[in-house]
Parts: sequence; structure tokens; C-alpha cells
Amino acid sequence: MKLRDEAAPQQADEKAPWVERETLVEASPDEVWEALTDEDRLEEWLAPDVELDPVEGGEIAVRDGEEERFGRVETVEEAERFAFTWSRPGEGESFVEFTIEGLPGGSRVTVVETPTHSAAAGPSAIAAGSWGPALARLRRSMFLVFA
Amino acid sequence: MRAPVHRQVDSVFGALADPTRRRVVESLARGGTVTASGLAEQLPITRQAVAKHLLALRAADLVTATRVGRETQYKLRPQPLEDAVGWIQMVSAEWDDRLEGLRRSVEKRSGRSR
Repeated sequence: MKLRDEAAPQQADEKAPWVERETLVEASPDEVWEALTDEDRLEEWLAPDVELDPVEGGEIAVRDGEEERFGRVETVEEAERFAFTWSRPGEGESFVEFTIEGLPGGSRVTVVETPTHSAAAGPSAIAAGSWGPALARLRRSMFLVFA
Repeated sequence: MRAPVHRQVDSVFGALADPTRRRVVESLARGGTVTASGLAEQLPITRQAVAKHLLALRAADLVTATRVGRETQYKLRPQPLEDAVGWIQMVSAEWDDRLEGLRRSVEKRSGRSR
């Protein structure tokens, strides 16, 4: 079985002001949920060493060689939504949110990562989805000026 | 190297989250070097509102201000926006790799349990 969703192509990089990526998985939302919220499962794909207390307010630590990130779990909605903040020591913090959507024959998994200050500056601006294309347009107009 | 870029990206995204501020930036991009009054003429907002947005853009390092006689002239700085775009591309590539790993991990188990 080939699971494809041509109707919802990924946004081009330059149109996403924050990062939004997605993948289609041939498995149920429950199966995806386990891989997102179980420490041992996370170590299969996210990083070799993951510590996670999968409750809201719980801690998350992700270690991959020299690289370490620490954060806190923000949202736990079983088989639907899992969100946390993370940052490398001394760096700005990002908000990471996974959304799982059940499809016939599988699931769509979407991840969003955005620096937390900009999330705080305007979740409504982000939700409105208006400033992705706007950033690309700004970038183009700035190139016209400075090129 | 990465730490300041992340902080800068944070402030650039924060500054550009406001739609009016994006219009100010677009006007600056079109106009090259302009004054606050000049910007206010192009936009449906007061000179005071323009000044406030310019202050926020300067805080994000997106705009430079130069005093010329009795006027202050404003100009865009493209580098922070370029850095923000670079951050987006880097983090996008990281998530593409991780999501591919997630997909494989889930499908491997799902297949085994069938």
C-alpha cells in the first residue's frame, strides 16, 4: 500500500516562517503516539539517549553525542497532540508540537518548531497563517533592494 | 556561533509576527532609505505608530537609524532576515531526517505486530 496525500503538499521552505514538516505513516495514531511519548521508542529515532516524563510539566532531556537539549512537556493529548519546549544550554528556547491525524490506512504526523518568543508574540498571527508568504515576500523585496 | 543566531531569529520572528510591522518593513524595502513621516504617508497609521514599530524593528536589528540634520533616516538590514531563513532551512532539514526515522520505527513495529 502506498500512502500518499497529494492534496496537501508540504509548504516550501521559504514560505514557512517557523518550521512545519509532516510525514505520512502506515500505522495507527496509537502506534505513532507510542513512538512519540515512550523513552525507549524515542531512542530509536530521535536521539540515542532520551529521558522523558510524558506528563504536562514533565521534563525531557535529549542527548546525541556532545549535543544536549533540555525542556519541559507542555501538552499531552493522547494519540492527538504532544508538545514540549527544548533548548541547548545557553541558547534560546524552541516550542515543538506534534499533531497526529488518523487517515484511512495510516496517520499524518505534523511537527512544528518555532522560537518561543515569536510564539508568545503572536499565536494568532501564526494561526492566521498569513505571515509565511509574507516573510517570503519580504525576503524577495529585500533582495531587490540589496542585490 | 549558533546561540546568537537562535536568539536573533527569535527576535526577528517576534518583530515580524505583527502584520503592521511587516508592512513597515515592506515599505522600507521599497523605499530604500526613508523617514518616519515618509513611511506614515504610505501607511494607514500615524507617525507615532510608525515610530513605535521602527523601534521594535531596531531592537530586532532589522533596521538602522541615521541622524541626518533634523531628520532620522531608516534603512533595512537584510542579514537578520537571511539568518532567520537559514535557521528555518536548517531546522526543516533536521525534522525531515527525524520524521523519516520516526516513520521507519513505527512502520517496522506495525508490520511485526500484524
